[in-house]
Amino acid sequence: MTTLVLDHVTKRFGGLVATNDVSLAIPPARITGVIGPNGAGKTTIVNLITGMLPLTAGAIRLGGRDLTHAAAHEVGRAGIARTFQNIRLLREASVADNIMVGFHRHEAVSVTASLFGLPSARRETARIRVRTQALLERFGMQRFADHPAGALAYGHQRRVEMMRALATEPDILILDEPVAGMNDVEARELGDIFEDLARSGMGIMLIEHNMRFVMRLCANIFVLDGGRLIAEGPPDAIAADPAVITAYLGI
Amino acid sequence: MWEAFDVGLPDQAAGRAMIAQQLLNGLVSGGVYALFALGFTLVFGLHGILNLAHGGVLMAGAFIAYYTVQAGLPLALGLVLAIIGGGLLSVLLEFTAFRRLRRSGEVEFGAIISSIGANLVLVTIAQRISHTQVMRFPFGTFPIVIYQFLGVRVSALQLFMAACSLVLVVILTFCLYRTGAGRQIRAVASNERAAVLVGTNPNAVYFQTFFLSGALAGAAGVLVGLAFNSIHFMMGEPYLLRGFVVIILGGLGSVPGAMLGSLLFGMIQTLTIAYLPSGLTDAIIYSILFLILLVRPNGLLGKPAAGVMRGRR
Amino acid sequence: MIKFLAAYRPLIDLFLLQSGYALSQYIVLRAGVFSIASAGLAAIGAYVAALLTMRLGLSPILSIPIGAVAGLASALLISWPLARLRGVYQAIATLAFVQIVLSLNLYAEAVTGGAMGLNGIPSLVGTWTLLPVLIGVGYVVTAVNANKLGRAFEAMRQDEAVAASLGVSVTLNQSIAFGLSGAIAGLYGGLEAFHSYALEPNQFGFAFVVATLSYVVFGGRRSVLGPIIGTAVLVALPELARPLAENRTLAYGVLLMLVINFMPRGIVDSLLEYVHRRRMARP
Ligand SMILES: Nc1ncnc2c1ncn2[C@@H]1O[C@H](COP(=O)(O)OP(=O)(O)O)[C@@H](O)[C@H]1O
Ligand SMILES: [Mg+2]
Repeated sequence: MTTLVLDHVTKRFGGLVATNDVSLAIPPARITGVIGPNGAGKTTIVNLITGMLPLTAGAIRLGGRDLTHAAAHEVGRAGIARTFQNIRLLREASVADNIMVGFHRHEAVSVTASLFGLPSARRETARIRVRTQALLERFGMQRFADHPAGALAYGHQRRVEMMRALATEPDILILDEPVAGMNDVEARELGDIFEDLARSGMGIMLIEHNMRFVMRLCANIFVLDGGRLIAEGPPDAIAADPAVITAYLGI
Repeated sequence: MWEAFDVGLPDQAAGRAMIAQQLLNGLVSGGVYALFALGFTLVFGLHGILNLAHGGVLMAGAFIAYYTVQAGLPLALGLVLAIIGGGLLSVLLEFTAFRRLRRSGEVEFGAIISSIGANLVLVTIAQRISHTQVMRFPFGTFPIVIYQFLGVRVSALQLFMAACSLVLVVILTFCLYRTGAGRQIRAVASNERAAVLVGTNPNAVYFQTFFLSGALAGAAGVLVGLAFNSIHFMMGEPYLLRGFVVIILGGLGSVPGAMLGSLLFGMIQTLTIAYLPSGLTDAIIYSILFLILLVRPNGLLGKPAAGVMRGRR
Repeated sequence: MIKFLAAYRPLIDLFLLQSGYALSQYIVLRAGVFSIASAGLAAIGAYVAALLTMRLGLSPILSIPIGAVAGLASALLISWPLARLRGVYQAIATLAFVQIVLSLNLYAEAVTGGAMGLNGIPSLVGTWTLLPVLIGVGYVVTAVNANKLGRAFEAMRQDEAVAASLGVSVTLNQSIAFGLSGAIAGLYGGLEAFHSYALEPNQFGFAFVVATLSYVVFGGRRSVLGPIIGTAVLVALPELARPLAENRTLAYGVLLMLVINFMPRGIVDSLLEYVHRRRMARP
């Protein structure tokens, strides 16, 4: 199976060390939490994994494959999908169109077929449309299919981002604060979906502020502070760890 | 210019004097490019607006000076009026072509389209006024005096152009880096919302930058009109196109870069005209631009554009 | 009907030609590439096609497609450096390309006729060639929009980082868009050469850039109908309002400013959006 591994990864922005010698693993079929106070370097790690930033040192591997220097689209094609902390939708496109782009990496259509609208390209589009419907149903969003994504409520926009990421059928799904700003009911609904996905074999990296949410879902948790990994372990061990309590409560 | 060789002067000395002469000519025209390009790059650097009507402002400056001289008034007054007129015209452009766009998301694209439209308007009006004619300053508007100095010829006009460019560039730099208004301008440029919170009025800042930018272009128009003694409604276009080369050379939005780029450009241009087949000048200049972008996608002194994903490649 | 056609034939032909250029401009903007190279690419197609027939006696049935291939090849060639650039830098670099083509064209007088251009090109392309070609090109562009490529283009246009995170290679897809734009520009350059007897370098200069950009901005940048309707209106405008004819450029300028400021999506896209919103609002 494909485990995502960060091996002594460091990232410097000028003088600031945003990621400091971090090693962690995101195994398949489980939800792995990454927590830490604001500015701890969580989003930076996501950007390093997904090819949006170059590493200063260290290596990133997915299964046997070295992704340290892979470009963003190569990481996406390798099977890593993400959502963005500050939601980034194709605001002018409809919800359905947003999701349909997600299937890109699985579309085996030649440029010629796409250029001339050959039957193979049209069949592929039809097939994708059906699968988009399935995703919409799973997230209870069918009635928004034709709405412009930019006009949706915040919580719904987050769902569109998740559906889009899921459309790529990733091995590893990285969720950057997916339930921020949602109430407990909404969060629980999404949590159930995440657990479903993990059961189906997907490795999930869950970055979250909501401790209760993380504790409930995660099999294993990494704690970051000031770019450095300060703790790792199952939820109950993390909750009792003095270093974590200090970082969170600032004692 | 190959005549020097034909009359049999000692080759080396003549060659050196000629290169010196070309470099001097290049520097002078580079100074005029600087006047034009500084305002162009300033507005882009501060506000992200690529003002394609900037060439139209240059043309308007030349027109204003021409009609002032035609009315029997002194050239100096014409220059002053061109500076003020250029500044005001530029402010008018900000008002009509860009103000609404600032509030929309796509300023960059919108500004290009809007200023193309504004430029068409300016050019058409000028065409009407001038009846599509090329106009010339009356003989003797500027005294024709030529000084000889170490084998290099300098005309009074060239000295005047160099002096004008220098003075105006110094004034601009002073305004931008040494005054409270300049600090406000730069504050709005770096973060408009934050600047508003601390009580800066962004509209006033836009007014100032556009005025400065247009004033310099107006002055450049007068100098260009004098240098070639030719004023016509299309005269802004080549400057606009070359202005691109200049500001890319220096790095879009960088004021020191634009100065460096202008002088470099002036010299490259005179040298290619002097030593290479004349028809190829433009091809060479634009190829240089293309090559520079290839090696340094943000120009020589430019920083990467904000919000652009560079990724790992 | 026949009478109408005869009277307005030149105008209709102009519309059919300009629509092609508009689609060439449209397809790059659609993919988020801010290129204005269509003018230079059209010049290459036009001259290649005309010279092949005039100098080598090749049939236009061959030389026009070869012109399109020349446009495609040139576009792919410069798409490599362009892929490193973004936004205004792309616009300026492509403008430099247009200027390079223009000045080489003027310089290589022995081949291209220099400023005098080429004269006496056989006039073999008329309305009944232009119409099916436009339908064909329109079909291709529509097909692109509806399939894998179009989805990738739309994602790149709106957010490059998102597109990349979904596995879309921005470099590759920008090159495809650019190549398609070059092929269309080259094709229409060739058609124009055989439509109007003569070619002249300056017809592919800055004014060309302004015109094609106007068509797309005025009509709209999303739907394929945008550039077509935009071209139709702007081409017909001086005819519809006779007093406008002599103030054509002025009206053009004012119109560009008004549209980009007050209807930044263009007439077609704004209209479609309005209709869509009405339909969504209904219970
Ligand atoms: N592109 C960047 N350039 C410079 N500094 C950055 C950049 N991205 C993040 N940082 C800095 O890195 C640190 C970690 O940020 P981030 O990863 O966003 O934290 P988190 O997601 O844990 O809240 C912060 O101090 C932030 O200011
Ligand atoms: Mg974060």
